[in-house]
Amino acid sequence: MTKIRKGFFRYDNVGMLFVLPAFIYMISFVGYPIIYNFILSLQNVTVKNLRTGQHEFVAFKNYIDLFTHDDVLVRSIVNTLVFTVACLIFQFLIGFALALFFNREFRLSRPVRGLMMIPWMIPITISGLIFKFMFSNDVGIINFFLKTLGIVKDNIEWLTNPKTAMPAVIMTNIWIGIPFNMILLAAGLTTIPSELYESASIDGASKVQRLFRITLPLLRPTIESVLILGFIYTFKVYDLVYVMTTGGPVNATQLLSTYSYKLSFDMFKYSQGAAVANILFIVLFLVSLLYLKFIDTEIET
Amino acid sequence: MSAKIMASRRKDIIYSVIAVLLLLIMLFPLYWIFVTSLKLEKEIFRNPPTFWPTQLNLKSYMVQLEIGDFNMFRSFGNSLIISGGAMIISIILAVPASYGVARFNFKGKKPIVLGFLITQMLPVSVLLTPLFIIFKNMNLYNTFWSTIIADSTIGIPFSILILKNYFASIPKELEEAAYIDGLNRFTAFIRVLIPIAKQGVVVCGVFSFLYAWGDLAYGMTFIIDQRRRPITAGIFNFLGQYGTKWSYLSAFAVVTIIPVALIFIFMQKYIISGMTSGAVKG
Repeated sequence: MTKIRKGFFRYDNVGMLFVLPAFIYMISFVGYPIIYNFILSLQNVTVKNLRTGQHEFVAFKNYIDLFTHDDVLVRSIVNTLVFTVACLIFQFLIGFALALFFNREFRLSRPVRGLMMIPWMIPITISGLIFKFMFSNDVGIINFFLKTLGIVKDNIEWLTNPKTAMPAVIMTNIWIGIPFNMILLAAGLTTIPSELYESASIDGASKVQRLFRITLPLLRPTIESVLILGFIYTFKVYDLVYVMTTGGPVNATQLLSTYSYKLSFDMFKYSQGAAVANILFIVLFLVSLLYLKFIDTEIET
Repeated sequence: MSAKIMASRRKDIIYSVIAVLLLLIMLFPLYWIFVTSLKLEKEIFRNPPTFWPTQLNLKSYMVQLEIGDFNMFRSFGNSLIISGGAMIISIILAVPASYGVARFNFKGKKPIVLGFLITQMLPVSVLLTPLFIIFKNMNLYNTFWSTIIADSTIGIPFSILILKNYFASIPKELEEAAYIDGLNRFTAFIRVLIPIAKQGVVVCGVFSFLYAWGDLAYGMTFIIDQRRRPITAGIFNFLGQYGTKWSYLSAFAVVTIIPVALIFIFMQKYIISGMTSGAVKG
């Protein structure tokens, strides 16, 4: 009743005044650009007519051209999926193993786990630079280790060979992603009451049984959100690949993000760049909705 | 009994040793770039590689004090201006917004919160081309402002979602007491609530700064003038021109990491709390 009578001007709407500045800012510099990006992708904007403001409407021509003129877009889509899935699997498994290990009570567990977070904090440009150095052909320490251990005889041309460039980039991104997976899974592990493990071991459950019967089922919500968030963050990776390979050699590591950048800012085909970015956006938007649905109960509170 | 204690102590030592070994493997790349920055160019190319410089060389850092193609310290200053600017905008806008979301019920609150959540997941690629054109038309292209504005679109939603939890956890009685003392909703917010949520504000400041500090895409696209570019874009440029000058490149890398390392050492607790609450709870 009171709700209806007071309507829009009920007192709590003062809260909107607090939110309004941030809201307007985000609408201007995020909301509007997203819509503008979509419109751009339906026009034909190049460096020639950028300033004139007379932009021809071409409907879905950019998308059709991108799919039919050459196979770079399709390759970028496949590469992005390969990159994302490979990174997700390995960074999750390693991160989970580390979370279980550091969940044990020993003197150095907390301080060392804290220091393990450092790779996640390093600016991505720098991580890319460091691994570009380590993966380089002659001076690369990775080739040195592999040769010393007798795994390979000759130097591998990691980043200049189309076959090995993707694995090298994936390994680098796994290094960055491990801490993120580890810390979120570790936080999830602390919510499992230790009494469960105690009573299970009294009942004679083995360590493996305890992992599959107690840890994994109870950790499921955390695991799901870690994987969805990991997908979102990995699918849009840009800086790392751009620094290490700029999408090469011969598009071997071309992702949707790097391809979009190349179209817009190396080839000055702004509309085509916007179209590729839009494909990337739509995929991420759908996955984000999935994630939002998933954590909906938590937003309510 | 004493055998049991001995066993648990031995376990403690074994686990600690494994933990340190894992850490050494994980942090080896950082050690390696640091050691490389202290080597002479000649030694970097030596085979087998040396794991500590035989001759300590600080020239890769010192040379930057002179004028070169790419002045590391000026770029460092540019990055400080851009990251500091993005941090200030993020905090000024996010602190009140998060309070509004945490404490009041107003029309359209849920879609607004969802909107902030979604922007956190946005790829930079989708904003690059439109913002490039928008900034050109606003004459902000090639100024610090372009990158500051773009970088703070990352910090704002993150900060709102983190701070929302801080404000929600403060007991309502505090505000009621403030109202009785004659403060209104705005003055109570500024004089009573912000000081209490100080820790959360610090977390948001740190993250907004770090996001902007690590940005490459915006800085490289919106600022074309080498003298105004942030350090990440400067390094990327240098990498393209002198790709094998690893003595300089490793020194750039170390200098770029320094602020991150300092923030990490002094604020580790804040950072980990920010990561976990920001990512899981949204």
